[in-house]
Amino acid sequence: MSAMALRSLNLPGVGTKYEIMTDKGDTIAIFFTKTGTIQMYTLEKGNQSPCAVVMTAVEARRLGNILTGAIIEADQESVEIAFSALSDLRVTIHTFFVPASVTGKTIEDLQIRTKTGATIIAVCRHDKNIVNPPPSFAFETGDAALVIGESDQIIKFEREIMVE
Amino acid sequence: MEGFIIALFVCLVLALISKYLSIPAIPFYIIAGVILGKAGLGIVRSDEISQFFSSMGLLFLLFFMGLELKLDRIIANPSKVLTGGLIGLTVDMGIGFAAAYLLGFTLMESFIVGAAFYITSTAIIITSLIENRKLMSVEAETIIWVTVFEDLVLIIILAILSASDQNLLLFVVKIALALAVIYAISYYGKEFLVSILERDDEIPILFTFTAVLITASVALYLEIPETLMVIALGAAFATTDPNAFEQHARPFRDVFMVMFFVFFGVTIDFASGVNWSVVAIICTLAILSKLVSGMLIGLVIHGSALSGLEIWANMICRGEFSIALAVLYGSPIIATTIAAMVIVTSIVGSFTAKYSTWMRRGIVNRSRRKALMYRPHAGR
Repeated sequence: MSAMALRSLNLPGVGTKYEIMTDKGDTIAIFFTKTGTIQMYTLEKGNQSPCAVVMTAVEARRLGNILTGAIIEADQESVEIAFSALSDLRVTIHTFFVPASVTGKTIEDLQIRTKTGATIIAVCRHDKNIVNPPPSFAFETGDAALVIGESDQIIKFEREIMVE
Repeated sequence: MEGFIIALFVCLVLALISKYLSIPAIPFYIIAGVILGKAGLGIVRSDEISQFFSSMGLLFLLFFMGLELKLDRIIANPSKVLTGGLIGLTVDMGIGFAAAYLLGFTLMESFIVGAAFYITSTAIIITSLIENRKLMSVEAETIIWVTVFEDLVLIIILAILSASDQNLLLFVVKIALALAVIYAISYYGKEFLVSILERDDEIPILFTFTAVLITASVALYLEIPETLMVIALGAAFATTDPNAFEQHARPFRDVFMVMFFVFFGVTIDFASGVNWSVVAIICTLAILSKLVSGMLIGLVIHGSALSGLEIWANMICRGEFSIALAVLYGSPIIATTIAAMVIVTSIVGSFTAKYSTWMRRGIVNRSRRKALMYRPHAGR
């Protein structure tokens, strides 16, 4: 990762610029402008004029999710965050809609942490968010759970807990 | 008061039109002011209320400039800022000053005209770089640093102009004391300031507004220029949480600046005996002199005349700072001259900025075609 040339620069009045030079010599520049939009420029090696797109913050986040290879389905989103400073620590956050087999059971009953290592950090119920649900928290039909862990733990969680 | 509301309404309509056409609104505000005011229909008159709003506009413009003025970053890469900046300063200020002096202005007037002639509009330039999607070009960074340098020069110009009629030693001591107080407050009170800015009620915005006004009125009381003190306040606050301050100061700046431009237009008086051929010469030179400085900057920094052309195309616009100088130190004749220059350069400049890539492509294609057509032995 450290070989990749990433340059960040704060331009007075404009915003923050990030520039990545790829191994093949292409350049990608991203500007978070003060106007709130995000501009992405791509410049092919040896070319003079870059291509530019303008995105809103939401669009940019979606693009970011796609680039990390994480979006699986439109309603079940997953985000992988890599902290390159912490010896490349990668954490995945995944949303799951709880199946019928789980409804009525508590987090303690399911032994989620001991079985899978993943942690439920939030549950979305009827458009309300319950952050950090206690072990005694019981699932209902229609709940969406936000699970955090390493990607292996998330896969384990999907196989062992989210069984139909 | 009715005139004031008419002016506001006209500005709103003009702002919508200019956004729709994506050209800068500043020249339209001034033109609207000229048409509504003294020189035109005479519907809107400058009164105490409008003067208050205009001076607010100036204060918040300068406060904002101070917030953006991150001295540590300028010190961190001085070569970038200095090379382009110094070329621009000598060429443009030189041409502007010389032209004004030769055209019959006094030394002092020529200095003000030269300064207004030199300083470009950071607001228009940055907006057009973003809107025309030119941020990635190598020239964009150079342009941004040149505008930062111009901000620094503006501070020096303001200091020189306001120091000229005072006891210099007392003046410097007073300014140094005021600066020390402002910096001490933002250094020792940093946690307090940040905690105020983090609140989600009306306190942050009220605090920002009050801080600017108190600074200005204390400066007036001490008889030191409030313009400089407000810039210093911005620069000092920038060491705490500049983004929060920008967010809270932006609404004030946006509204008051419009008033500032309109009522600048309103006060313009053609009866003051303006020589229109002089104005025309200054406007033409304002465009040409940026071509010279742009070319030099392009050749020195990027080693390319095409880069120079790009820099020129983006840096023609004069705007808010030129008008600020006219408002603060200009006679009616100077104000009219600068108003015309701002209107002409900002309209011409917005078109050159928009179509510079076409221009560039045209030149490249033509030279390529010439190279292809070139037959060294055809004459035999």
